[in-house]
Formats: sequence, structure tokens, C-alpha cells
Amino acid sequence: MHIELAELTRVAQEYDARHQFISSITWPKDARIAVNLTVDFDAMLLRRLLNEPAMQLAKGEFGGRVGIWRLLELFESHSVKATIFTPGRICELYPQAMRAAVRNGHEIADHMWEHRVPKEAALEQDHLLKTAAALEKVAGRRPVGTRSDHTRALLRSEGFVYSSHDSAAQLPYYITDDGTADTTLLNLPFHYAIDDAMFFSFAWLGSGNAAQRITDPERVFEMWWAAFRQQYDVGGYLNVVMHPFVSGRALRIAMLDRLIAKMKTLPGVWFATCEEVARHCLATCPPRNG
Amino acid sequence: MPWKDGYTISDEIGLADHDLHWPDGKRCCVLINVDLSIAAGPAGITATDLASPAAEFARHDGLTQLLTVLRRHALHATFAVPAVMARILADQLRALMEAGHEIAAEGLRHEDVSGLSHDEERERLALTTQILTEAVGQRPAGWFSLPRQEDPFAGGTISPNTIDLLIEAGYEYFGNGLADDIPHYWVSDFASRRALLTLPYYYHFDDQFFLLFPRKGTGLENADMLFRNWKAEFDAQYQRGRLFHMTLHPQGIGWCNRLQVLDDFLGYLRSLPGLWNPTGAACARYWRETYPERTHLRLEPSIWQDYPGSLS
Repeated sequence: MHIELAELTRVAQEYDARHQFISSITWPKDARIAVNLTVDFDAMLLRRLLNEPAMQLAKGEFGGRVGIWRLLELFESHSVKATIFTPGRICELYPQAMRAAVRNGHEIADHMWEHRVPKEAALEQDHLLKTAAALEKVAGRRPVGTRSDHTRALLRSEGFVYSSHDSAAQLPYYITDDGTADTTLLNLPFHYAIDDAMFFSFAWLGSGNAAQRITDPERVFEMWWAAFRQQYDVGGYLNVVMHPFVSGRALRIAMLDRLIAKMKTLPGVWFATCEEVARHCLATCPPRNG
Repeated sequence: MPWKDGYTISDEIGLADHDLHWPDGKRCCVLINVDLSIAAGPAGITATDLASPAAEFARHDGLTQLLTVLRRHALHATFAVPAVMARILADQLRALMEAGHEIAAEGLRHEDVSGLSHDEERERLALTTQILTEAVGQRPAGWFSLPRQEDPFAGGTISPNTIDLLIEAGYEYFGNGLADDIPHYWVSDFASRRALLTLPYYYHFDDQFFLLFPRKGTGLENADMLFRNWKAEFDAQYQRGRLFHMTLHPQGIGWCNRLQVLDDFLGYLRSLPGLWNPTGAACARYWRETYPERTHLRLEPSIWQDYPGSLS
């Protein structure tokens, strides 16, 4: 029994040791909160990868032919810049939407090649490089951020400066594999409760029928506004995750329009790209082993 | 991979709000679908499904209540009818047509056809068309494959051959596509641009996913959420000048408090001017005349490449 408890304690301590938290941060121009509007533009790629049926693919296709354009319009109308996490393959499916996103000044970041990270190291690197090349061709510069499980050492060696994944803390934090700078990466956390697909996408993440909790925009508006208010009051950070095939539906664009407009009624809200937030964190709160 | 097969079914960019116009300067198109299937799952309508209190309610009290509300608001609907239901409800269907509603097909028994051979599916499709034509005295123009409660996904199921077979059989539209929120062309062959007009569907505007879903035992009874979804979508689409669609099941929406929700929502909808409420067939005909695929289906050349280690 003592051995088991010691083992569990060791696991928790080792996991702790891989994290470096930022206890408080001063945002540029004395902003009270940094808001990252982030778009996961996978359209039907994940549905295709999971071999889901035709109608599921069509549901995703909405994101490419309609949803992404509406989100770009929404951001434009509020003069805010977003970060669009884009699988490399999307550049071959929706090149016009990608060019429009770049023209509007949004950040284009990695979201895997075809929405998976291969286990074989050589193929993983091949996918990351192919995606970086595809995004660079559209954006004119290589991506510096990712929303993926790509290996941190690989990401660092390819010049990536942040990931946006998981939620081990509310403020951005550093995570490392072995404590060396080569495997240490800044993470901009997002929480599944601030992710449109959790509330609006049937069968999300393989959930069965009895687990569906699809809901309406007003309820999500209240939830996300409350999250924003709480972080605003503590000088924090909010990452709002939107999928074009989900949030691009007219009823949700209207909800997001109201949400962004309400956020803008408060002073000191910094709407930034993930890269801007990441570079600010790295400059003002660098990692100990950076 | 030729074109974007296995990924997309239509062109890259949907029609923008400002390019969208409805007849006589109307502001927003309203499509109402009523699903007359009571199939529980992919097998389609079974004897157990038919001999149940819910089915009895759907055929009589529920359907009557639903029709009363539609009549009160002077709205027309398109009824998706499996062939077996056309046999059972032939008299009611003829009355529905006389009242200006449309009768569309929904398979022999609203079964999942995704695993059928090409020939078997073609045979069933022909038989379905024949039975519906006999039942109401008119060939159906539209075909639906709406989702059933026990399906693993909420979009409906078709086979890789369905769209092509519907074109071959002379159908004018497919009733439940998810790739857009307005009519769009479902391309079955990119080389020849062979395509079928498709009307929009989305499960967030389908009563069955908010009213005791799944049917047995999870307590998801959210008629208020259904109302808010309908209203939020209608308001947004009205503002954009696009299209609002909803899907109703007599066994679901016909029941007391839920019927009131429908009545309240349709009363709100009717209070706004400039609505165009066609049947599916009328909407499809208008669309093909105004936005013919010859000029409005814009298939970009494919830049897709196959790579080792990637899905094609």
C-alpha cells in the first residue's frame, strides 16, 4: 500500500514538474483581459478521417462553403483579428477562403495535416512540414502556433513558439517533456466549456445518442459571457473556440455578434491573435529554462 | 482522387446573402417538413414501431393537432412519407394534397440504404415511387432520408448511389442536405456535372432531438430550447433574407405543451411581413429557374494531390 501511494505521489510530482505556471500577467496597454478568438477550420476532414457517413461530411462541408465566410465577415465587422487553426489539406479544399482570411489579417496556424498526428516519427514530421509549407504558401509566412498533439521537441525544432490545447491552468503556461528548453512550449489554454462543438454538434468526440446535450445559443451566450466576466475581473485570459461548420450557422453568428459587441462595451479588452498573446507572454513572463 | 470526391458534394462557395432573391420581392423563404415516419432505427418502420401508442398518436391525434396549427397560421408543409405509410394513410394524404401540402417520398419503410447494392436500391426506389404514385395519384417530386432516433448520427443516411439513382428516376430534389442553409446542387459526378438540387436540413431545427431524446429514458425534454433555436435561426435568416426550415414529427410536436410551443413560434413567424412559404417542389422549381446549375454551379478545378502517408 505504501509503495502504491508513493508511486501515485511521484506521478503527480513529475507531472507538476513538467508545468510552469504564470501567476499573473500585465497585458499590453493595461488591458484587463486578453481574448483569443480561435477557429478550428477542419470542415469535414475529421469526419472523413473517422469514416463517418455522407451526411456527416456534408455537415462539415457547411463550414467550408458558408461558415468560414460568415466568421470572416463577423470578425471584420468588429475589427478584431482571429487565429485560424487550419489543417494543411484545407488549403487544397478551400483555397479562396484561406486567401480571404490572410487578406483580412488573421493569423493562420497549424491544425495538423489531415487532423491526426501520426505515431511514426518520420511521418509525423512529414505531416507537420507539409502543413507548414501549405500554410506558408497561402499566408506568406510559416505558422508559429499549433492546435495539436504534435511532439513538442519537433515543434520547437521547426520554429513553433506556442500550442493552444488543453486546460491545465486559466492563464497561459509552459509545458515541457524533460525540462530542457528544446521541449518547452508555451500553451494558450482553451476549455471544452468554451467550445461551440460541445453544445451544438451531434455525436461530437464519438458521443452516443444518450449523451447528447445539444442546446440553444442563448444558454451558451450566458455561459460564455459569465466566463468572460470572471476572467475580466481577475485580469485573465479567454480563448473562444469556434468551428465554421458549427458557429457559421446563422443563429450562432448572431449570438457571437452579440457576445463580441458586449465584450467591447467594457474598457481594456485586448482582442489579439494567439501569436500576439504568445509573444507577449514569452517576452514578459519567459520560462525559467527558456 | 478525382476532384474532391469523398470530401465535398458541391462547389466551394455558397450563394451570398446579397445574391439571394425570392419571388415577388419576398424577404425570407420558410420551408416546413413533416416526417410521417415512425421508424425507431436504421431497419426502418417495423411491426413493433407501427403497433405502438406513439404510432397511433402520430397517425391520429398528433397529426390532427399539427394540421390544425398549420391551418391556423395558413402555412404549407412538405410531408416526407415512407411507402408503407402511404398505404396506411392514403386517405389522409389525398386530403393533405388538396389542402396545398406536398407529398414527398421517404423510402419503402424509411430504412437505411447505405449498405444496399446498386440494383437492390434501384428496385426499392422504383417500388417506393410506384406505391406513392398509386396512393395519391401523383408522382412524388422530392425524396427525403431524414434521421431516425436510434441512428448514430443526426443527418439521415444514403448510399453512394442514392443521388445518382434519384436523378435517374426523375426526382426533382433531395430534401435533407446539410452542406448549406439554402438550396444547393449535390454533384454525383464531377466530370459530367451531374447534380441534383438539394434542400437544406439541420437537426437543431428538428423537433425529435429536443423532445425526449433518445425516446426512452434520458429525460432530454427541451421544448424551450427548440423554441429558442427556431426563433434565433428565423430571426437571423430573416435579417439576411435567406431561408428558414424546420422539421416536425406528429408524435413529438403534437403533444400538449410542445404543440403550444409550435403554435407560439408560428404565430411569431407569421407576424413578420414578406414570407414566402412554398412546398419543397415549388422552392426547387423556383431555384432551378432562377439559379440554374449551368450558371450557378461553380466547380473550381481541383488542386488536390495524393501523397504517400495521407488519405486520398
